[in-house]
Amino acid sequence: MRKDFEKLFTNLKPKEPPVGLFDRIILVIKREQELRHTKRLLFGFLSLLLISLIATPISGAMLVTQVDNSGILYFVSTAVSDFGMFLAMWQDFSLAILESLPLMGMMAFTVSLGISVFTLRLFLYKKRLLLRYLKIYA
Amino acid sequence: MVFCISMDCSDEQLITDYLAGDEKSLEILIKRYLKPIYSFVYRYVGNGQEVEDITQEVFVKVWRNLKKFDKQKSFKTWIFSIAKNTSIDCLRKKKAVPFSNFENEAGENLLTKTLADPTLLPNEIFEQARIAEMLNAAMNQLTLKYRMVLFLRYNDHFTFREIAEVLGESLNTVKSRHRRALIQLKGLLSKS
Repeated sequence: MRKDFEKLFTNLKPKEPPVGLFDRIILVIKREQELRHTKRLLFGFLSLLLISLIATPISGAMLVTQVDNSGILYFVSTAVSDFGMFLAMWQDFSLAILESLPLMGMMAFTVSLGISVFTLRLFLYKKRLLLRYLKIYA
Repeated sequence: MVFCISMDCSDEQLITDYLAGDEKSLEILIKRYLKPIYSFVYRYVGNGQEVEDITQEVFVKVWRNLKKFDKQKSFKTWIFSIAKNTSIDCLRKKKAVPFSNFENEAGENLLTKTLADPTLLPNEIFEQARIAEMLNAAMNQLTLKYRMVLFLRYNDHFTFREIAEVLGESLNTVKSRHRRALIQLKGLLSKS
């Protein structure tokens, strides 16, 4: 019986999808894919911007405090003011300067500065994409 | 990584390939289901532009949820369920169920198409058109639920279990609905 009905239903030609519908579907998917990508990019950009806006001044202030407390400026100014003595005792001086380097502060500041530069670079490169996305959802 | 790029690949293989980064697999999958889904939505909604929009929406939904698709289940029933739900949503928005366009399915277009087919003799063409017209008229008199069961069963070659999954009904409900639909269809066909 099933075969008979299947044969009967073959008389009904299935409705053909219009030409171009396939391309339209692919286009819509591609566009949504792009939007998704931009959304992720925007989220990353905003996170980085927030991080760099908070981290750069804090790490900068931390670096300044550590430099003040470490006494590195004293060693450097002595080396500059009495260059002859620096040359005579350059090994001790170098070691003293290295020992007094505020490594943590320098690292934190460098990383946050790096993030800021990367964020700026990301914005400059993807400016059009990000602004277009914001315009769509504004 | 080697991807399956022929039309013979299984749906599950194509999904796996797409998720692994092969964009072509999605295109094959869409090509494979475009006609059946379009026909299915057409049976539900029956209006040209809306059918296109719903079909597009179905495939976009499929793409969005492809990662969540359980590969242990049948993709065919999954995509048809999405098509059914999207069509119902559209009908709910319209708050009316237009079935009037149904007879167009085998109207002039069928004749012009089949006349171009050299394998059919003229009397066969007219016979086919006559049967199609009769069947369409009879199908139009059935309720949407009955019609969908018969179409899925005999046009799309679904099993009862697959129909139950697509329509979200129990197996027994589908079987009894199918039986009642057949009785009604036979009655209508014998009358005409």
